[in-house]
Amino acid sequence: MTSQANLIPVNSGLPEFENRDKQETKYTTCYMCACRCGIKVTVEDNKVRFIQGNPNHPVNKGVLCAKGNSGIMKQYSPAKLSSPLLRKPGTERGAGEFEEISWEQALDMLEKRLSHIRATDPKKLAYFTGRDQMQALTGMWASQFGTINWAAHGGFCSVNMAAGGLYTMGHAFWEFGDPDWENTKYFLMWGVAEDHASNPIKLGLKRLKERGAKFVSVNPVRTGYQAIADEWVAIRPGTDGILALSMVHVLLKNQLVDEEFLIRYTNSAQLVVNTPGQKGDGLFYRAGGETPQVWDQVTEAYADANRPDVSPALFGEYTAPDGTPLRTAMSIMLEKYMDDEYSPEVAAKECGVAAEDIERIALEMAHVAFKETITVDVEWTDWAGRKQDKFIGRPVSMHAMRGISAHSNGFQTCRAIHMLQVLLGTIDCPGGHLAKPPFPKHIPPGIKPAKEMAPNTPLKSPPLGFPTCPEDLAIDADGKPLRIDKAYSWDAPISCHGLMHMVISNAVKGDPYKIDTLMLFMANMAWNSSMNTEQTLEMLCAKEDDGEYKIPFIVCSDAFNSEMVAYSDLVLPDTTYLERYDTISMLDRPISEPHAACDSVRIPVIKPDRNVVSWQEVMVEMAGRLGFPAFTTGEGERKYDDYKDFIVNFEKEPGIGFLAGYRGENGDKSLRGEPNPRQWEAYEENEGFFEFELGMNQRYMRHANRDYLELAKEAGWIGNTDQIVIELYSEKLQTFRLAGQGLYDGPMPTEEHHKERLVKYFDPLPIYYMPLEEQRIDRDEYPYHAVNQRPMFMYHSWDSQNAWLRQIMNQNYLYMNRIAAERDGIKDMSWVWVESHNGKIRAQVKLMEGTNEQTVWTWNAIGKRGGAWGLSEDANESTDGFLMNHLISELLPQKGDETDRVTNSDPITGQAAWYDLRVKITPAAEGETGSWPQFGPLKPQPNAKPSPDMLSYTSHKNVNILRSLSDILTRGEK
Amino acid sequence: MRLGLVVDLDTCVGCHGCATACKQWNTSGTIGPLSDKDPYGRNPNGAWLNRIRTYEVDDSPNSKTVHMPMSCMHCDDAACVTVCPTGASYKRSEDGIVLVDQDKCMGCNLCSWACPYGARELDPQEGTMKKCTLCVDRIYDEKLPEDERKPACVMTCPTKSRVFGDFDDPNSEVSKLVRERAGKQLLPELGYNPVNTYLPPRNKPVVEQYQPVSLKDTVKGWVNKVISR
Amino acid sequence: MHPAFSVLVFTVMSGAGYGLITLMVLGHMSGFAPQESGVLIGGGVLALVMITVGLLSSTLHLANPKNAWRSFSRFKTSWLSREAVFAVLFYPFTLIYLLGVWLQGADVGTFVALCGVVSSVLAMVTLFCTSMIYASLKTIRQWNSSLTPVNYIALGLMSGSLLLAAVQAIVAGELAGVQLQMAMGLLVLGAVVKVVYLFWIGKPAGSTINTATGFTQASVRLLDQGHTSNGFLNNEFGYTVEANKLVRLRLLMLALAFVVPFLLLLAASSALTVIAALLVIAGLLVERWLFFAEARHVVRLFHGDQRT
Repeated sequence: MTSQANLIPVNSGLPEFENRDKQETKYTTCYMCACRCGIKVTVEDNKVRFIQGNPNHPVNKGVLCAKGNSGIMKQYSPAKLSSPLLRKPGTERGAGEFEEISWEQALDMLEKRLSHIRATDPKKLAYFTGRDQMQALTGMWASQFGTINWAAHGGFCSVNMAAGGLYTMGHAFWEFGDPDWENTKYFLMWGVAEDHASNPIKLGLKRLKERGAKFVSVNPVRTGYQAIADEWVAIRPGTDGILALSMVHVLLKNQLVDEEFLIRYTNSAQLVVNTPGQKGDGLFYRAGGETPQVWDQVTEAYADANRPDVSPALFGEYTAPDGTPLRTAMSIMLEKYMDDEYSPEVAAKECGVAAEDIERIALEMAHVAFKETITVDVEWTDWAGRKQDKFIGRPVSMHAMRGISAHSNGFQTCRAIHMLQVLLGTIDCPGGHLAKPPFPKHIPPGIKPAKEMAPNTPLKSPPLGFPTCPEDLAIDADGKPLRIDKAYSWDAPISCHGLMHMVISNAVKGDPYKIDTLMLFMANMAWNSSMNTEQTLEMLCAKEDDGEYKIPFIVCSDAFNSEMVAYSDLVLPDTTYLERYDTISMLDRPISEPHAACDSVRIPVIKPDRNVVSWQEVMVEMAGRLGFPAFTTGEGERKYDDYKDFIVNFEKEPGIGFLAGYRGENGDKSLRGEPNPRQWEAYEENEGFFEFELGMNQRYMRHANRDYLELAKEAGWIGNTDQIVIELYSEKLQTFRLAGQGLYDGPMPTEEHHKERLVKYFDPLPIYYMPLEEQRIDRDEYPYHAVNQRPMFMYHSWDSQNAWLRQIMNQNYLYMNRIAAERDGIKDMSWVWVESHNGKIRAQVKLMEGTNEQTVWTWNAIGKRGGAWGLSEDANESTDGFLMNHLISELLPQKGDETDRVTNSDPITGQAAWYDLRVKITPAAEGETGSWPQFGPLKPQPNAKPSPDMLSYTSHKNVNILRSLSDILTRGEK
Repeated sequence: MRLGLVVDLDTCVGCHGCATACKQWNTSGTIGPLSDKDPYGRNPNGAWLNRIRTYEVDDSPNSKTVHMPMSCMHCDDAACVTVCPTGASYKRSEDGIVLVDQDKCMGCNLCSWACPYGARELDPQEGTMKKCTLCVDRIYDEKLPEDERKPACVMTCPTKSRVFGDFDDPNSEVSKLVRERAGKQLLPELGYNPVNTYLPPRNKPVVEQYQPVSLKDTVKGWVNKVISR
Repeated sequence: MHPAFSVLVFTVMSGAGYGLITLMVLGHMSGFAPQESGVLIGGGVLALVMITVGLLSSTLHLANPKNAWRSFSRFKTSWLSREAVFAVLFYPFTLIYLLGVWLQGADVGTFVALCGVVSSVLAMVTLFCTSMIYASLKTIRQWNSSLTPVNYIALGLMSGSLLLAAVQAIVAGELAGVQLQMAMGLLVLGAVVKVVYLFWIGKPAGSTINTATGFTQASVRLLDQGHTSNGFLNNEFGYTVEANKLVRLRLLMLALAFVVPFLLLLAASSALTVIAALLVIAGLLVERWLFFAEARHVVRLFHGDQRT
């Protein structure tokens, strides 16, 4: 039902409605998490009346989460910074003593410092950003500056998921793909905390439930989404890989795989050299040419694998003319996964899921995929130009995120899940897992990480890319890391998002070298964005013998007085999200939906009342001042007035810019077209977003759909229209494994532990292995897994500390399974010590039913430092809230071996392994209450308005109901 | 007309979106402001019209987590109205919405005592009672676009677990949902006849298992089919 | 329920005042009790003071007292409104009656006598209205009973009778046997009524967390109340008394309000009667505190209590 207004006459007891004449609605994009929902903001007198979801927006379709609905409190936070700040000379870092300076002073100071670094040794600038949504700009900026030391927070967020997908099928979970919510009949969700993504998943789950589809959730903790699952699989953390591969085992035992899909769209039939212990083992057989070969059953001969007119053998062992033994990739898979090592009985012991359940879920999915097949009757053309009369859908879909990602076996686990999807033929088909433009891409995307640097010279390629072989690593001739975070080194060869979590630790140790300036944006590294926070704080303040800080200069940009501000030397105050221009660009991670390419913008809806400048504006200004080639003319003149001007006129290649919509002189071209001087206005008129719907024939099987591939090439999303062949078998990983075996013609590691890691973990097929921390600690001493998640109302948000949301939660508890706690004598609401190999904390326990018995968990980043974020010194966040981060080391558990120096991360991707944590729990002594450790309060920013004791926000004087006395007296009793 | 909400416990994920949407709409709305005491200090405590509680039903390992958003039920027999001495609290005969006139309430708390659902909270600054208005200042305001004339919580709910409508109309979506999903009232034994109704979690869908034909014990069991690329 | 001090003072003081005036006027009219105008004036003034202090105290718990005058509006439905109306109506009749006694002495005319009778009826009606504010709440099973008005009226009359005896003792300098016997009788009645009440609320009954949440087939546990710091509902309804403390307070209440005053009255001493009256007031403050503290509002079920 929509409106009541026309149904009954307005009668007594209705309010005199508020005056809307002075109200205007503006459209922009939310910025409190990675969903990037469209919002419609009602503003009056430069004050926010109401923020609501934009019903026309492709992402959130009108809905909005608890954060989005609390934007007002973010906008009016007393912790907003109001001027550039310089650490007072003579005061210590961390003391929070600042003086306000002008923007001119701040920018001059930064320019001087950066221009010296750029002219001498560009790598001395380490530039890392948090949960920002402008990596296309910041990455380009770093590249133009000439430093390879740039990354964002993907290294501790989701690189395992991104890389797992991009190295397997060219798209991925979450940002690069979605379940087909409209058609899927069986949905399996893996390790999704209350996050990634927010509103789209919620909308999707509702659609599933409406249609009666089955929703199974694999997760050690049952909150949020798990609560509404039809089946909750309470897995032991870090063991999802064996569960997935055991389901693969069940499917293979029952011969329940989509053989047509495997032959047409994957490399399963390609022939692999089978010469263990020799060079070339495990690589594809190419018959002397470039192209992998298959055995064509019709001609009974070897043939190029990419030819359309062959009927490859999916199984079998062959011998090449030169005598080389070969077998198909599928044969290797069969041999590997049909082994009893992967049987449900064996897997059950490791992951804690009953063998019957493993088998049942696998067979349920097979039933839906193969017996409840759906079709979409649309004619389409495949990659080889053959007309197909319909899309065949196998309506099983999956989604996976943090619980897979943040383990040191996450990359292979993610690949195992994708393998399950691929064997069932559910990739980019109706009802399956759909890619979101600009994905899928060829495997992996064709960008290689930069490694060469020279003064005053831009990099030849972006700092981050996708290595395909050891030659692509960012290491020097001795095999030592070139990057400050040791990304693309033998420690983590495929670390496509960098290792932000290692930067401070490595820079302070001078390993691999010292830096001059650390520049941070939107990253709270002095608190909840660091592993090992307590020691990170010490590192940020560590000094050389001469009294100089080990990290000489720290610059941060933040809109609020976060914990990081106090540990910075120069603070550049950012705008809030309602005060800025921004792009959520097709060059970065746009807001596309499976059926449409979409990007969006932020447009200011509130005029700032402070001396603040958005970080992207600072970026463009600094690029001009430093004379970056892409930002200046040949004569050294600045090309762009400001950020808006840059966005409109910058072209990455002809016709391709940051925004894909409303291009061309008249704004009538989409995806590619000349700059449109009125592009911002066009976005504003279109409610802040651009949506390009794909034709019905371009919506599925896009890895092999000619009409789609041609569009993608035209749009600059992919470099050619070749079929994107799904790589169940990863030859790229095998090259690294060969390097570890000493069998590679190219760079090879010299240290034993590196060799071991490459051999053990770089399996070309998905494997399960015990997470690294668990391998190096005494599992009996630390009997519990400890994981954390952010609650939905603060999900993925670095600054959702606000007056409304903190009322929902200002203290986190350590949640334990009731039965386990009763066994251990731990009482509900009691205080306990939680100890890991790295340290200990004190926390308050809450018992619950919905937690795996071997797992404890908490809500992350609820704990805050007193004084930060405008909080009082005795705020509950500080006295009772806690961070689990103190327990998590950025290095592997110390055992006195050469691995001690190695990052606590996935050995393949460098993804921070903060879910690997194991702890022991002991009751605190009588009277030991309150969280520990404590760090003392931080100072408010200079000239801060004191936080109020009472808050009564309204955007206008409330128009209350005014009833007559007679109505009051005469209104009848029911 | 009996206006009210249906809340679907089968799909509510406990995100608190409805609670903050309510807070932001209503703090500037007819019932507003909704004040917050010690908003940045110890034990912050503000007036909210919508709270989300989470329960675990049954014991491990068979337990189930249920999120239960609660706001005013706009009871047919609204004792909160009966007990109000000033006439500030009243129930609209036109549509059953229970409201509190902010300029007439004396803050005696008696209505909150009479309410079994915890739907009324005293404003720490204003000293008047606050409660859900079903966004009476949205649903009847003709200056708002027609499809936005619904309560803020309903508009924002990301799992569409909240449905607004007329329980007197047998053809309304809410009435249909209550019929089809065996909607339940909370604390029915107290006899307040709450209008808001909760839809219990559904039975799990039954999915068949693929019936195995023959198990393959070795790689040799697989035979190549001729399938062209 | 959170025991608000202002409400404890209000109900105890006004209850005693209404009891006092009622018993005094009835005694006066019926001629059973001594007929000294000094005692009548003294008792009347004391009753008015106590009622007025009580009523003023009750406004202290209003969060927005500027609208207190509006509380007369909903006489039709609200016991609180009725209480307010009757409390105000009570004043002119009582004042006329007292003025009459002052001017005419104990031997008053018909009009004054009529005013006296009306005043005592209004006193009881007001006290009944007060009790019905609580008794009418279905949300609090410990209150939602006819025992509540019985308690309020019995205890009001009981404390009034002691006050009357005390006034007699102070003003007249000697005790009146009738008043003493009445006080002792009302002490016994009050104690019986209170003990019955205590037994009655001890019986398990009422709503449970299962009927509150609608999940009646299995155990239900609260995991999260939706906010980590206590809110209005916790503060108002979440009041919990430790079991040990409860037992001690109940014993204290029985001793102060009933047993000790009874024993003191046995001595038939003027001084001890005054002390007994003061003890009763103190004891009833404890009684009223317990009346609130032991009342368990159904909202507590939503915050995790298994039953009310």
